[in-house]
Amino acid sequence: MDLDLSEEQQMIKDMTRGLLEEHCPVDVVREMEDDPTGYPAPLWKQMGEAGLIGVLIPEDRGGSGQTLVEAALIYEEIGRALAPTPHFVSGVLSAGLLLEGGSEEQQARWLPEIASGQAVLTPAWLEPDRGFGEAGVQLAAKAEGDDLVLSGVKRHVNYAAAADRLIVLARSDEGVELVLVDPRAEGVSLTQVRSQSGEAHYRVDLQDVRVAGSERIGRPGQGWELFERVLQRGIVLLAAQAIGGADRALEITVEYAKVRKQFDKPLGAFQALAHYMSDASTRIDGGRVLVHEAAWNDAQGRSIARFAPMAKLFACNTYKDATRMCCQVWGGVAFTLEYDAQLFFRRAKEMQLSWWDTRTLEERVAADVLDR
Amino acid sequence: MDFDFSPEEQKFADEVEEWLVANHDPVVMDPTRENFSQLADTPERRAFMKKLAKQGWLGMSWPKEYGGQEIEGVYEYILNEALSRHAAPQIGKGVGIIGKTLIRHGNEKLKQEFLPKILSAEVEFAVGYSEPQAGSDAANMQLKAEKVEGGWKLNGQKMWTTSAHFADWYWVGARTDPDKPKHDGLSLFLIPMDHPGLEVQSLPTVGKDTTNQVFFEDVFVPDDYLVGKRGQGFQMISEALDLERFTMFTLSPISERTRVLVEWVKEATRDDQPLREAPDTRRLIANIVTDTAVAKALSTRFVCAAKSGGKPPTIQSSQYKLFTTTLSQRVCDEALDITGAAGTIREGQDEAPIRGRFEGAYRATMNETVGGGSSEIQKNIIARRHLGLPKNF
Repeated sequence: MDLDLSEEQQMIKDMTRGLLEEHCPVDVVREMEDDPTGYPAPLWKQMGEAGLIGVLIPEDRGGSGQTLVEAALIYEEIGRALAPTPHFVSGVLSAGLLLEGGSEEQQARWLPEIASGQAVLTPAWLEPDRGFGEAGVQLAAKAEGDDLVLSGVKRHVNYAAAADRLIVLARSDEGVELVLVDPRAEGVSLTQVRSQSGEAHYRVDLQDVRVAGSERIGRPGQGWELFERVLQRGIVLLAAQAIGGADRALEITVEYAKVRKQFDKPLGAFQALAHYMSDASTRIDGGRVLVHEAAWNDAQGRSIARFAPMAKLFACNTYKDATRMCCQVWGGVAFTLEYDAQLFFRRAKEMQLSWWDTRTLEERVAADVLDR
Repeated sequence: MDFDFSPEEQKFADEVEEWLVANHDPVVMDPTRENFSQLADTPERRAFMKKLAKQGWLGMSWPKEYGGQEIEGVYEYILNEALSRHAAPQIGKGVGIIGKTLIRHGNEKLKQEFLPKILSAEVEFAVGYSEPQAGSDAANMQLKAEKVEGGWKLNGQKMWTTSAHFADWYWVGARTDPDKPKHDGLSLFLIPMDHPGLEVQSLPTVGKDTTNQVFFEDVFVPDDYLVGKRGQGFQMISEALDLERFTMFTLSPISERTRVLVEWVKEATRDDQPLREAPDTRRLIANIVTDTAVAKALSTRFVCAAKSGGKPPTIQSSQYKLFTTTLSQRVCDEALDITGAAGTIREGQDEAPIRGRFEGAYRATMNETVGGGSSEIQKNIIARRHLGLPKNF
């Protein structure tokens, strides 16, 4: 047993932190809120050049071919910096779907460009008034000759305006399909919907959008299986991101609690407040090890059917609870937009509700524990 | 990064597991005794400790010159987790706190008298630190030790001496220098538990087992039985906690409770429907299992810090204890929520779910967030040493 990072892992972590500190200070984070593109081009370019976007993409496809452990270290830094990027939707989910189910042609076409940051792809998954499960995918995919014709509405499509392709989850007679769709194609319309965190989210309306059958990823009807598998790995990284965010929020709060005085004492000298922070640090430090354990098990080729949802469940709940607590310690100023605590507070709740929410994750853990 | 034991560690873990299965004895291994199962308090359980001694598993981390094997403490951690998973008595007090303190600070006489007996499991100790006025404020011990001809005369009272009713020797902190600052006026003594000046009074608890208070009336202790240097008692007590990194308290009883609960939920029914299909139960189980995994993660963190051999893993140990004991109580609480009204049936009756295991554990675990450094003490430690917040009391 050993929790130390290897030299190379430490290097990746330090490099990511340095890069984000330089290209994504908090004023950039603030500027990007509600921005239609949603991420700063210089940051994205730097991440591509540093090999961070392609962390999970094999080297022969232009990536750096690392394991989920290295990716988790990067995501913890992304979380700390609150960095707004399409990394998750493009470098993790879209690249993962292409790697798991894409044809040679699709992989060769997209993976190197995803890794460099030149292309951005994003899944179009959720639908209004539908859930996170397979039954939630109802957007119609009608087969017409070799083509698929898509009609329906998607919501919570991140970075859609900047995307070169959407990967639309649609329902055909065969089941769920994953279809590469150009967001500029005829019949596709994007409407920005402002989210709690200010991340660039879109509603996507598809009306009789005709796509060649060759744009399908995987076999007919295989879409959900692929998507579930890729997302299951992906949520470990969101858990890492949540831990990073919680850790940074606690850090700035602890610093404030050392200098801000009331009743002639620093806030941190009041047990009522100090104990909140001790509790949060315990959950954050424990959550981090759980995330690493999940990632490490994946890197060993072991199943993470239980670890992955446990990691996101615990990390996102911790992020949410810790940031609310932090705002309480800051007091009235946390309520103002001027202070940074609210940046973490809003993102924490959004992360908990996104990419499998608490109920979905609990059910996945329960299924693994009770139904096998 | 590696979450597995090394091949050698795994081999030892397998060996211990195999041995414990082969030596299973329900009289010795009783999970319903919860935390008290760690005590060697009956003839059968003492005989079991002797068998452990024969295996060479006592004092593994001690120096060779005192009969140890000088192997890494992580093997004692592996052993203790296995013992507690089987609800067998554990190593810790004698081999750990007392043995290690004697090795570092004891005089030749005490070393010769006690160290071999600890290794052969021929002696059981009771530890007397707490007093009516020295709970969380551990350095506030008032038990009076007066210098007399050839030794010391002790008068006063100890509280919460769990092992006082069966132990052979008493490891006691007493105030030898009342004029010095409170941390510098304490000394450690070894006293035979059958000393006529000691009166052990049993205190029934809300759990199944009892603890004790002990009264001292003119208890004479010869000079040789003052451990280490006069006035260094508190420093030795603290040091022992740092030295004894691996056997402080185990995770297995908690993860075992989670396992027992899950197994029960898998089989139980409510209104003729499988309980495991009830959404409320599924949610509770998912969160209990998840938090048990976090407790395991914090334990891994603590063990890895201890293995590194650097600074004592004080922070990691505090975080682990804080989280795990809180979880331990919650598991019992929510297990009873899942069982519903049947959860009220007192432990030990066949009519109760799992024979009332969680009814009993709900009571027995009350003290986990208090004993061995309360949750509030742990939070103070984390706040000051980990977060660098100012002193807050």
